[in-house]
Amino acid sequence: MYRKFAAAAMMVSWLFLSCAPGLAHHSVAANFDQTKTVDVIGKVKEVAIRNPHSQITLEVTKPEGGVTEFYVEWSDKNALLRRSVPVGKIHVGDMVTVNVSPSRRLPNLGYFRTATLPDGTVVKDCGFAAFRDGIAKGKTGC
Amino acid sequence: MKTAIVIALLIANSTPAHAAGKRAELDGVWILLRAEIGNLQLTPAGEKLRAAYDYQKDDPDFQCKPASFTRIMHTPSPPIEVRQRQDHVEVNYEFMDVRRRVPLKKGLAPKNAPYAASKYPHLGRSVGQYDGETLVVETAGQRAGVLDTLGVPGLYQSDQMRTVERFIPDGDKMQIVVTHYDPVYFIQPLTVTFNYLRLPGGKIEEWGCKPEEATFERFIPAKK
Repeated sequence: MYRKFAAAAMMVSWLFLSCAPGLAHHSVAANFDQTKTVDVIGKVKEVAIRNPHSQITLEVTKPEGGVTEFYVEWSDKNALLRRSVPVGKIHVGDMVTVNVSPSRRLPNLGYFRTATLPDGTVVKDCGFAAFRDGIAKGKTGC
Repeated sequence: MKTAIVIALLIANSTPAHAAGKRAELDGVWILLRAEIGNLQLTPAGEKLRAAYDYQKDDPDFQCKPASFTRIMHTPSPPIEVRQRQDHVEVNYEFMDVRRRVPLKKGLAPKNAPYAASKYPHLGRSVGQYDGETLVVETAGQRAGVLDTLGVPGLYQSDQMRTVERFIPDGDKMQIVVTHYDPVYFIQPLTVTFNYLRLPGGKIEEWGCKPEEATFERFIPAKK
């Protein structure tokens, strides 16, 4: 766990140092580096499934001791429900591993990709593009 | 008495769509397939504002305020709904709970129409009419401010802007071609084309945006 956090911390430090001074807007593609992924291990402090963006707050143990908060940005509530993402499986107090695309701007922020729960269940979200493509193919979703 | 009111409301809400033929295909719930922005040529004033735009300070989304109908439609996941009635068209946008009512009244100028979305008067006043099977909506009275923050971030509009939207039916696809005429910020009219896909069984849900949950500053621990 410590090794994973250390890797994540190194990555976010690098991001903090290298992030661009000004980004033009708030789209996911502009603010999160979707070519990179980071595993963040922490205890779920809050799960806020809401509009316009959902957010999971994790308490992450720092290598030097103590805890810090890491924010996981996610889709809007309505979209998650349309995509039948089982958000109710993520519980406050659970120790989880959340795989994120790191923020280009902030070291304590990433965009949700998957969440691995204590029992090994992996919560996935196909995303809007896959949902839309599914509808285009006559399916009911992703 | 209460029962009678409830029944009357149920009947009113279940009034079938009015449009027939090809234009009836516009009725339904739609999700965005893709959006295309036409040739963007800004005046020096438009360029200056765009260069100074800082989304963290200037994006109305963070205050749960929809900047414009174009901005609303640029949000990919929340669907929109079109319902054609005898004397008006309802366009309901899930994003920011925008409920728009467009009167279909011959001779009515947009400036004399009621606010299209009573909750958001800055979005202006709209009037609709049909051009063959295409629904054409003209809007005026949009207040000066940010026009777009997602498709073209930092695009501004003046209160002189006039907007024409053409809703074009095509079976389970729909195209909305939006043309913004703004002599203050655009050298030539700006066209944005939104291509939609019908969402079978789709429903517009409540958005319920709260500024304290939307602001970028929620990520800054000191500001929490």
